[in-house]
Amino acid sequence: MRKRLLTLLPPALVALGVLFVPLDMFAATPVTRQFTVQASQFAFDPPTLRVNRGDRVVITLEATDVVHGLYLDEYDVNVRVEPGLSKQIEFVAEKTGKFRYRCSVSCGSLHPFMIGELVVMPNDAFARAVGLTLVAALAALVYLSRFPPGEA
Amino acid sequence: MLVIVVGLPVAALGYHLHLFPDRSGVRTIDIVAAAPERGGFQPDVIRVAAGEKVRLRFSVPDVTHGIALGPGLGIDLGQIDPGQVEEIELVFAEPGRYAYYCNTWCSPNHWRMRGVIEVYDPANPSRLVSDSRPDPVTGALAEQGIDIDAPHPASVIPAAAKPSATRGEAFSTRAETPLPPEFDDASWRRGHSPAEAHTLLNRELPALSEEEAWDIIAFHWLRDLTPERREWATEQYAKNCAACHGEAGTGTGPGVDALRQQGLGRHGEEDETTAINDPQTILGGTSNIYYAKIRRGGMGTGMPDFGPVFTEDETWILVDYLWTFQFAE
Ligand code: HEC
Ligand SMILES: [Cu+2]
Ligand SMILES: [Cu+2]
Repeated sequence: MRKRLLTLLPPALVALGVLFVPLDMFAATPVTRQFTVQASQFAFDPPTLRVNRGDRVVITLEATDVVHGLYLDEYDVNVRVEPGLSKQIEFVAEKTGKFRYRCSVSCGSLHPFMIGELVVMPNDAFARAVGLTLVAALAALVYLSRFPPGEA
Repeated sequence: MLVIVVGLPVAALGYHLHLFPDRSGVRTIDIVAAAPERGGFQPDVIRVAAGEKVRLRFSVPDVTHGIALGPGLGIDLGQIDPGQVEEIELVFAEPGRYAYYCNTWCSPNHWRMRGVIEVYDPANPSRLVSDSRPDPVTGALAEQGIDIDAPHPASVIPAAAKPSATRGEAFSTRAETPLPPEFDDASWRRGHSPAEAHTLLNRELPALSEEEAWDIIAFHWLRDLTPERREWATEQYAKNCAACHGEAGTGTGPGVDALRQQGLGRHGEEDETTAINDPQTILGGTSNIYYAKIRRGGMGTGMPDFGPVFTEDETWILVDYLWTFQFAE
């Protein structure tokens, strides 16, 4: 019994490594992500933008009713947009986390609540999942070759 | 103690200056700029004597507006956000009528946001400041029985992409194919549509290919648009027209949605088009018609009257610019 458990120990360790070792090689190649964000009294549509770290983010900002702005401190973004004239915002999402962006032009009573969110994900969750599956498959193979089911 | 002794008189002086800033003999006129449904410009008519120095002070209570003065004054105070105040000092030399107007889309009624400045003759203050003189182009169209509100679909349009003025210039200056003399006549060009010009070319120079003919027309319809005039028009189009006609002339934008909600549109039709980049809609019309439409506006269609805001020459610049949605450089 103990022998069987010992056989599973190395793959388990590797699995832990795959899960937690911070390796940049796990990062998927960054892509350009395009969004059209409509600003109106008193919301951004869509309210949440999800990207992965390293992605190039291109936002076409449109105002539908009055002048609004988009202010995203962490990425040094601050633009005004007039109804009828769209604006392009471009940056590379280097910092992970959730960042709030706000309307930067006082646009009415609920202006302070005009908030959106940029979510920048670490981007290696998928790579790690693939790694884990491979390790599990390998472990199963080794285990089965050593202790074929019929022998028990 | 010292702070109080010195500070108090200084503060009082400051307060005093703030309360009575007009020691210099400048009359200050305070104007509140709000969207039309919240009262528009208040006041919306002001009277000023010719030669009088006045200070117009605009404050904004609701949403961002853009404040400009015209026609022909070249004054644009830019965008004013709620809580901000912008002012300008000016002297009107001659009696006449001027307008202050909003040039940033601010409400479904944005295009109604106008004010009037009546500049009167101080020697004769009670004489009415006459409205601008009748427009010669609009008058001539009426005399010819041309209805500027009627659709004017083009009988022929280019088969492929936008015709090129650059190629057209090369053809036009080629010696072996002299163009009909009409093409060099500015007033003929303004009175005829590109589609009519195409028919004329087909008849006079049947050897020309379709593409060559359209390139030649492109050159002649854009030839008055110098780089400076194009730059001026680009800015004015963005501020005054793009919300309804689209940045690229596609006829989409918040202005179109607002008009639809108010039941306004072309002659009351459901699917009114403001797509001034559409060859079928535009190439059958003349510069004169578009000039008149811009100055007088559409009668109840939602197309504003820009006559009180732009000079005649400024209107021509806009008309010439509209052809850039049909023809490439
Ligand atoms: C509030 C919306 C609005 C704004 C702002 C506006 N337009 Fe229009 N315009 C319309 C509508 C609606 C029509 C179609 C109905 C009509 O012809 O009266 C139209 C029609 C026109 C036409 C006639 C097109 C044709 O096929 O005959 C021209 C030319 C034009 N606009 C130019 C301009 C220019 C130049 C500006 C800016 C200086 C401008 N418009 C600003 C709504 C607008
Ligand atoms: Cu806002
Ligand atoms: Cu306004």
